[in-house]
Amino acid sequence: MSDSSNNDPFFVGYLGIPKGLRFFLAAAALLLIGGFGILALSIGTAQNDPGDASFEFSWGPQTLTGILQAAPYPILHVTSGSKHIPAGKTILLSGNGKRGIVPRATPLDGQLVQVTGIALKRGDLDMLQLRGGTNGLRKADAGVGQSISIKALGRWRLTGEICDGKCLSGAMRPGRGLSHKACANFCLRGGIPPVFVSSAPVEGRNFFLMGTLDDKALPPDVLNHVATYISVEGVVERHGAMHIFKIDPASVEFAK
Amino acid sequence: MEDAAIVLSVARWWLYAGGIVAVLFLGFGIDRIDENARGSYIFRPLLVPGILLIWPLVLWRWLKLERNHHDISGRYNPLRQAHGPTWMVLAFLIPTLFLGALALRQTWPKDAPATLLAPPAGAAQR
Amino acid sequence: MSVKYVPVQWNSNKYWYDLALIALVATYILVFLNIAPQYLDHSKPTDGSIVRARAFGTCAFLMLTAILCIGPLARFDRRFLPLLYNRRHFGVLTAIVALSHALFVLDWYFNYSPYPKLEGLLGANTSYGQVLGFPFEIFGVFGLLCLGILAATSHDFWLSFLTPRVWKAMHYLIYPTYLAIVAHVALGALQSQNNPTFSLLVGVSVALVCGLHALAAWKEHSPAKSVRAADDWFVVGDVSEIAEGRAKIAVLESGDRVAVFRHEAKLSAISNACAHQNGPLGEGRIVDGCVTCPWHGFQYRIADGCSPAPFTEKVPTYRLRLDGTTVMVDPKPNAPGEYVQPVPVPEAVS
Repeated sequence: MSDSSNNDPFFVGYLGIPKGLRFFLAAAALLLIGGFGILALSIGTAQNDPGDASFEFSWGPQTLTGILQAAPYPILHVTSGSKHIPAGKTILLSGNGKRGIVPRATPLDGQLVQVTGIALKRGDLDMLQLRGGTNGLRKADAGVGQSISIKALGRWRLTGEICDGKCLSGAMRPGRGLSHKACANFCLRGGIPPVFVSSAPVEGRNFFLMGTLDDKALPPDVLNHVATYISVEGVVERHGAMHIFKIDPASVEFAK
Repeated sequence: MEDAAIVLSVARWWLYAGGIVAVLFLGFGIDRIDENARGSYIFRPLLVPGILLIWPLVLWRWLKLERNHHDISGRYNPLRQAHGPTWMVLAFLIPTLFLGALALRQTWPKDAPATLLAPPAGAAQR
Repeated sequence: MSVKYVPVQWNSNKYWYDLALIALVATYILVFLNIAPQYLDHSKPTDGSIVRARAFGTCAFLMLTAILCIGPLARFDRRFLPLLYNRRHFGVLTAIVALSHALFVLDWYFNYSPYPKLEGLLGANTSYGQVLGFPFEIFGVFGLLCLGILAATSHDFWLSFLTPRVWKAMHYLIYPTYLAIVAHVALGALQSQNNPTFSLLVGVSVALVCGLHALAAWKEHSPAKSVRAADDWFVVGDVSEIAEGRAKIAVLESGDRVAVFRHEAKLSAISNACAHQNGPLGEGRIVDGCVTCPWHGFQYRIADGCSPAPFTEKVPTYRLRLDGTTVMVDPKPNAPGEYVQPVPVPEAVS
């Protein structure tokens, strides 16, 4: 509070700074500026590792042939691949940005198709971001669709996180977690395939394409659980080389 | 998403209304109620964002000043009493919020197992 | 102390102040974006947009913390008053930094979609019924809107137009803004940062801001009120308690405060509230024969409460008398700018 000694400096903004205050103010300014520098360094160096996922621009556009599976979300079972995505792989498909390709893929379900786009990769999870229209997805010129092997792996309770398959695969780094939740929801609303990241593997896999028990896309209320750590029940199936976790949305619980 | 669109269109109309108030107030209102503003034009664009945001308050004050209501009491009556009660609430609320959020924070359940509830009936062909 | 309004009233102190502010922000952003990443051992770098959003977001949070500390610090130690002097520029810059954060977020997380960005911001996550996964962005939107209102109404015109009381009431929004920003950070960034540094810094910010304000509030609560005499005048105190060029503040029953100044062996009383922003005139000094506000240096002639020409501000004056050596004040204020004959201090007591 105010101090009654007559010689303490009195600052008037439009006059010069009183002598007794100059050192104090210069020190305060330098301390604040230096302090902000140190804070920037401590916060900047405390950022989480966003993980080893990214667009694979260096591979160039990938053109692949394979059997399209439209439900629960569009995936491609590669029959004739490239150096980076060989035959036998099963990959997720998406459009540009936060757009899925469900309307394009549905009429071609089960058929042999040719796709072109840029790959994204996170560990054993691959995705192709297709070019627009028939440049990205069309019926293959020749060949007939083969059957895809489907193996049921039983009913499981898995613990982990629901992510949008595209950001997780490397469209964004980091592409998961609660600060990214709205973005993940936004992607899922746009038709991007959801991926469950499990804390423990099934058949050596931790990433699962998601759907419902009746092979549909996830209902909107599942969006409430995106990006949080949950446990959920469902059946796991291997379609080609893709593991699919068909969940019962009513069984979702927050993880302990 | 539809709710968001409604909120945004309300916000848009709020700003349109603010634009009209800004034109009227800066065009001639301000000269009538503040002699320091007369003949001073360069600072006026600086007031536009404020008017867009709080235009109902601008209209209310404009009306009051037009009626020559100079409410002396409001000018020399600092709002010092509000600080104490405000911080009595906030000094409790803010730390509670912070600590609560920390307590609720989840960590990656790295040890949670994948539990097989029922084995598969058998492989299928599609 | 405007005669005619100008966009910004600069003076050399404000230049220094603003230079320091720009240095502050530039240092923070440059270190965060260019130096810190060199120490990160990540397999692949975090997206540039996200790093920029983090840099500007954390910078705005720290700036808000600093701004909120200035007020109470200046009450505890007058040497901090110069930081208060140009605090509005600090606030405007904070609003700009916060807006940059919002734009980086909007242009990254909510871009590239078939829906408009703002619609995504408000509508992508609607989990309002739960704490984990709550759409924390909405707190940021609220905080940014408040910072925008405060920045947009920081010109002196608004003080005079709205009255200091309404202006100040509106600028109390800075407190709910801080609450909202803590919520924004606590339910957002803090949830996905497993490194303790960030939590620790937010905790220190919360402790500093809440601690300082609670302490200031506690210090200010129920100030000693002046005693009312039989004729309804109030006892200010003994004349010896008022030093030359200084004031003693009398707190009336109504809560109104009167600053009783002593200047050249005469006593005069004016309202304690400066006409500009209601700064405490009684904590000011007499400079060049005028009472000078400790906040922004607005000046008033001691006998009539008028700012010297060409300025036009006025404050109410009060009547004084001496009962022996006891200074008494009439609680009824005179009209702002009304002349009152100063009361000479008898030589025996001066």
